[in-house]
Order: sequence, then C-alpha cells, then structure tokens
Amino acid sequence: MRMIKALTAIAAMILIAACSNDQQAAAPATTTVTPGSVADFRQNVGDRVFFETDQSTVREDGRQTLNRQAEWLKKYGNYQITIEGHCDERGTREYNLALGERRANAARQYLVAQGIPAARVKTISYGKERPDPVGSDEAAWARNRRAVTALQ
Amino acid sequence: MAAFRLKQSIAMKKLPLRLLILVALALPTAAAAQRADPVYVEDRLNQLQQAISLLTGQIEQLQYRNQQLQQQMEKMQADYEFRLDQVEKGGGRPGGAPAARPTTPSTAAAAPPGAAPPAGAPPAAAAGAADQVYNDAFKKLQDGDYAGAEKGFRAFVQRNPQHALAGNAQYWLGETYYARRDYQNAMTAFAEGYKAYKSSPKGPDNLLKLGITLATLGRKPDACAIFARFAQDYPRATDLQKRRIEQERQKNGCG
Amino acid sequence: MNTRFDMMLPRRQTILGGVALAAGAAAPAHAQLTIDMTKPSFEPVPIAIVDFKGDKVGADIAGVVRNDLQNSGLFRSISPSAFIQQNMDPNAPPRFPDWRSVGAAGVVVGQVAQSGGNIKVDFRLWDVVVGQQATGLSFTSQPDKWRRLAHIIADAIYKRVTGEEGYFDTRVAYVAETGPLGNRVKRIAIMDQDGFNTRYITDGKTIALTPRFSPTLQEIVYMAYGENNAPPRVYLQNVESNRRELLGNFPGMSFAPRFSPDGTKVVMSISADGNTDIYEMDLRGRALRRLTSGPAIDTSPSYSSDGSQIVFNSDRGGTQQLYVMGAGGGGERRISFGEGRYATPVWSPRGDFIAFTKISGGSFGIGVMRSDGSGERMLANGFLVEGPTWAPNGRVLMFFRQQPNSGGRAGSVTLHQVDITGRFERQVPTQTDASDPAWSPLIPQ
Repeated sequence: MRMIKALTAIAAMILIAACSNDQQAAAPATTTVTPGSVADFRQNVGDRVFFETDQSTVREDGRQTLNRQAEWLKKYGNYQITIEGHCDERGTREYNLALGERRANAARQYLVAQGIPAARVKTISYGKERPDPVGSDEAAWARNRRAVTALQ
Repeated sequence: MAAFRLKQSIAMKKLPLRLLILVALALPTAAAAQRADPVYVEDRLNQLQQAISLLTGQIEQLQYRNQQLQQQMEKMQADYEFRLDQVEKGGGRPGGAPAARPTTPSTAAAAPPGAAPPAGAPPAAAAGAADQVYNDAFKKLQDGDYAGAEKGFRAFVQRNPQHALAGNAQYWLGETYYARRDYQNAMTAFAEGYKAYKSSPKGPDNLLKLGITLATLGRKPDACAIFARFAQDYPRATDLQKRRIEQERQKNGCG
Repeated sequence: MNTRFDMMLPRRQTILGGVALAAGAAAPAHAQLTIDMTKPSFEPVPIAIVDFKGDKVGADIAGVVRNDLQNSGLFRSISPSAFIQQNMDPNAPPRFPDWRSVGAAGVVVGQVAQSGGNIKVDFRLWDVVVGQQATGLSFTSQPDKWRRLAHIIADAIYKRVTGEEGYFDTRVAYVAETGPLGNRVKRIAIMDQDGFNTRYITDGKTIALTPRFSPTLQEIVYMAYGENNAPPRVYLQNVESNRRELLGNFPGMSFAPRFSPDGTKVVMSISADGNTDIYEMDLRGRALRRLTSGPAIDTSPSYSSDGSQIVFNSDRGGTQQLYVMGAGGGGERRISFGEGRYATPVWSPRGDFIAFTKISGGSFGIGVMRSDGSGERMLANGFLVEGPTWAPNGRVLMFFRQQPNSGGRAGSVTLHQVDITGRFERQVPTQTDASDPAWSPLIPQ
C-alpha cells in the first residue's frame, strides 16, 4: 500500500516534470510514465467517465474509456479497484449520494461485463461532496457528473 | 440486478408492464442469441428500467389528472342534481322545496322552509337559525370547504334531528367525506342517512351513494344488496335516479 | 443531578399575582399585544424589554430576549434609548402612558436574585394597551445557564402573544464546513438556536453529514464516511458523552437517517448494487425491516408526527418526486405533481405540512405542501437552497443557502430561517460555513 503511494508520488513528479519541462507537445509525455503505473492509467487510459444530468447510463465516449480501462486492468492484475461515483451540485445531498452510487455501479457493471472479476471492483459514492473541478457553470457540472476508477 | 418488482401503487398496470418486459427481454435474446454479450444484456436492462420509470411517471400523472377530473365531475354532478331537484319540485309548488341553496343570504333568511314543520318543531326564531346553519354549511360545500361543511351539517343534524332538512343535511354530510375520499366516514354517514331518513327527499340519492361508497371500499356484495333495495324502497324515484342505479348495478356486476 | 442539561429547572410557573388578560376586551385601535401569524399580513408587535434588575446578568438576559423576539419577525423590539420611564420597580405596574407614547404594545420587566448558588429570575409582561399584566413567571437555574433562562422567557412571551408554542429554547445541529471545496472538511456541530454555545461532535477526519436529533435531544443520528474512504454509514451518537455506535454494518452505503417521533426507530436508506431502498431499524433489538423495493432510488424518509406514515423521495417515475407510504411500508402514493423535481421532504411536527426542496427551471426553492400534496407554497428561492427543517412549533423553517462558486472558490454556505408565510427570512449566524441544519425539539426541562 505504502509502496504504491510512493510510486504514485514519484510517477506524479515525473508527470509534472514532463509537463513543465517544455511544450514538447503532449504525445511524447506518454513515453515518460512507467507502464502499469497509476500515472500511466490516468494519463494513457483515462480514469473517469462522464454522465448526463440525472443519468447513470454510460455514454459511448465513456464506453471507449472503460474498454481501455478493462484492457489495462487485465494486463496489470495487481490492482484492486474502487469506482467513485460523483454528481454535480445541482441536486440535493441525499439523492445525489444514491445517484453517485448508481453511476459507480454502472461503470462497475460495464467493467465486469468486460471480464474484470467482480471481486476486484468496489464502489463508493461521494454525491456532490467532492467537486472536481470547483465551479458553478455547465462546463464544471458536466465534469462533475463522473465515475472515477481509483487504483489501490 | 434488482428484480423488476413494481409497486402496489401501480398494481393495476402491472400486467401490461410485465408483458412489456417479457417481450422486450425475449426479442433481443432471440435476435442476439449468437452474441451472448453481457454489455448488450446490461444495456437492455437499463433501457427497460428507464422505460418502466417513464411509464410509472406517466401513470402517476394520469392517475392524478383522473382524480382531479373525477373530483370536478362529482362537484358538478352534485350541483346538477341539485338544480334538477329544484326544477322537478319547484314547478308546481311556490315556496319551493327545502331551500338548500341560498341564492342570497337575505332570501334564505326571509323564506322559511316550504315543507310543513313536523310536530314539535322549534319556534320560528330557532328554525331561522337552523336554516342559517344549513345554508352556511351548504355554501361551504359549494366552495369546496369540505371540513367546514362537515362541521356545519353535523351540527345541524345533531341539533335538529327532526327538521325537514335533516335528511338532506345527513346526505350532504356524507358527501363532504366522499368528496375528500374519506370513504369509511362517508359510508357511515350514508348508512346513518338510510337508517334514519329513509323517506327524506334525499333518500334515493342517499341510498345510491351508500352503494357507490361500499363498492369503492371493495365491498361489492354489500353494494349490490343496497342497490337491490332501491326499487322496493323508492318505487317513485325519478328516471334519472333509476338509470343511475342500473348503471351502478352493471358496473359492479350485480346479479 | 440531572446529567442531561443540568438545569434545576422544573418549569415552575409561579404566577406572580395579577390576572391573565381577558381576551377580546375592547381595545384601542393601535398596536395590540396579540398577533395572528396565519393572517396574510400583520405588523410586528412593538415590545419594550427593560433590562432586568438585581444583577448585572439582568441586562444580558434582556438582550437575549430582545434578540429572540426580534429575530422571529413577529416582534419589533423598541430601542431602550427611547424608553421614557426609567428605574422601574419590577413589581409595580409601569406608567402606561409613558409606554403608549413610545408606541409599545407590551413592556417586559424582570429581576434577578441570587438564591443559594442559583439565580432566580422573575419577569412580567404588561399589556400596555389594556393596562394590565398579561403574564408573569419565575424560574430558578444555575448561574451559567442564564442564556437558557432568557430563551425560556422569550418562549413564554411568544406564546402569550401569538398563541403558538415558542421555539427559542432549542438547539440546531448542522454540518460545519471548512477548507477548500475540493477537499472540504465537514463535521457535525450543535449550537443554540440563536447561534451561541457551538460545539463540534465529530472530529472532521471523515465527512459527516445529515445530523438529526432524537426526540429527547440525547442523541443524534448522522451519516459519516469511514477511515480510508470506507463507504458512508449511519451512526448514533450521544451528544453528552460523544459515545457513538454504528447502526448496522451493511456491505453498501447507508445514509439519510431519521428518528421516528417516539425515538424507538430510525429509518434510513441502504444501497446495494447501485440500488437504494428505505429500511427501518428498531433501536431496541436492532432488527432491520425493508420498507421499499424496486430498482428506483428511494431516500430521504421522514415520519409523520403521529408515526403512522412516512414521506420519502423516489425517482421511480423518472424524476425525483415525493411519495407517502405507511410506516411499515406499502400503500405508496405520489403526492407531488408540480413542475420540476421535489426532494428532502420533512413532515411538520404539527402534522399539517410537509416541507421540501424543489428544483425547477435551474433554480432551487424551499416550499411547503399539505400532506395530500395540495396547497403548495414556496417560501424561499435561490441558486441553491436545500434541506428544510422544522422548528418544534411547526411555524418556522430553517434551511441552507449556497452561493455559486466562482474562479475555483467556494461560494458561501449559510443557514437561514423563514416563517411558513415566507414573509420573514433571516440568516442564522454560525462560526463557519454551515449546511444541513436540524432543529431540535424544545429542550426537556
């Protein structure tokens, strides 16, 4: 656990270094992260999928992301997964907790359908308690209606 | 995946929905028999779930609108029946039937009830006060203040059980509950009216409403038994009343 | 010693002589010392509260009473600098003409006396219009509980003038919010209704939300995340000892708890496989009973005041709406049919209304409707208003307001109260940003 955290920190540092180094275009950055690392997952696979208002159906773009996640997770079987469901701030607190759970579960079902063992994937809902990004406009809300695949 | 267990509130629509689910599940299974793709199945389930919520929402809306309309119709029907009463009785008899509807407060106060007061009727001043209570209650009923009307009619019947309008008041008391869908109390009030004021001008209506209320409460055999008494109790009922009874008998499948 | 709120305070209503005011006495046309708060419009009752004599805490007590009454929106506290009569004898009638001429309908005078380590406080409310004593009471308590005494006096005045029970001697539990929005610290706090005596009863290591009082105020239930982001669970916590226990260890998330009116049960939502239903837990045997089923989200349950029914939030019809069912489940029927989504229903302690949050046309509102769904009325609106809670008299609501975030910075989150006519809204002071208020019943004495 601690080692993974450390690894993540190192990977993140590399990532930051890679980004701040120069404006070498985005593509080469893919080569700087360790394959199989959390940074690799976030950057080259994509750790989150987005939802429509009040919906928990995985969209087509989200399916592409989850397909990549499934491939990657099959390759690196050492990770346990927690899918975090989130909502935008335009709902009530208690309902959003349930809606976040539904979103996390929709992503989980999709991964399981792609062959990831159910026992590997947990879910948790944060409702509207952990906005990312912080903002009160449609762009921010769209980014907040999300399910994030976190690796442990 | 949670079972598609539907709520009792939409129990009446259960069957068509079940059919829909079966059909929707069967079709893709047949079509996609060769590709047992779990994502595909998951998709279908999600779509079905959404379709069901949509239908549930629409049913709820329709039920609500239906209920609103029914209430409006009942109010209109009460009004209509009242007017018909007035026309039927009013023609040959100046002074009229019991003046249930106050046209204006002054006429109501000025005109004593046309029907002869029964023996031992209260003195005129008290009778005038009783009329006022009745008229106020009736006004409230028309305004849709059912709780206020209930209070007024109940007080009227309690204080003036022998009054010429007591049978009417007892009937309208039942209506105040019926309009609020308090069928248990409506049934009690109509039953009381049937027992105590069988020969009141409102007797036939009272019996009709007692039957309808029983049917609404799911007590169809009792309702049919009540409808069956109509011909015997009220041979001189109006055609409209007879037709209504016949309609109700058919609706409830009375033999 | 009563360990609850050690207050030697049987509400000993020693009437100090004087007769209760005869109702309906012919009174002059100007301001009267009664108010019907259900009327569509009324003027606040002008009232003069004179500093209590006998001890320096007397002025503080009068200040709290003024503040409570003024904050209700039903009273206008006349500034002491306008008072003509000075150095009043707290036991003698005031010079009524002096008080009429400053426009007061009522005058409150009182005195504080030391009595064997306790303080004894008497007060009288004089009806200036009629020239008689309207009410007068005497209380004894420990000296450090003087604020409670002041709230109890304000409640007595409120009750005498409005005919409704007061709500000043109450507490409010809420979620205190600090730190950046992306990683906000949320802990449960409890304060007096007027914003004083705040204390924090969770440590903020994990997010804690939706506190609700038990009917005795001894305990609260709330939802909190576990350590290392374990799923949210419902906790029952004693507010005196701060001892807390987990209410059921379910594999999924449990949340949205609320006590039954008799305090023997807690209803809550439990999630499994993305589906959320309502369950009831009997606190005596910890037996769990499922009250709703089906693939919809069923949450935010709240008992009717007699405990026979539960109003809750469900999206079974495609959008969030309000439904009522029997307290044992079953007989569900939808009651909300207006435009938009309805959420967070809360049954009034009087039983007459259900308060809710409504989301429609891109903005939020707090409203009330009768329990059959009729008579909907909105009381407050805004970018985000949420989570109404009732004062114990069922005449005032508290809720929270969030301002929009901008430039990555969190908008403020504040508590507000509004009366059920929607006429009078005010912000309730809190030490930090605050959300999810829960109003307590009157504090037991």
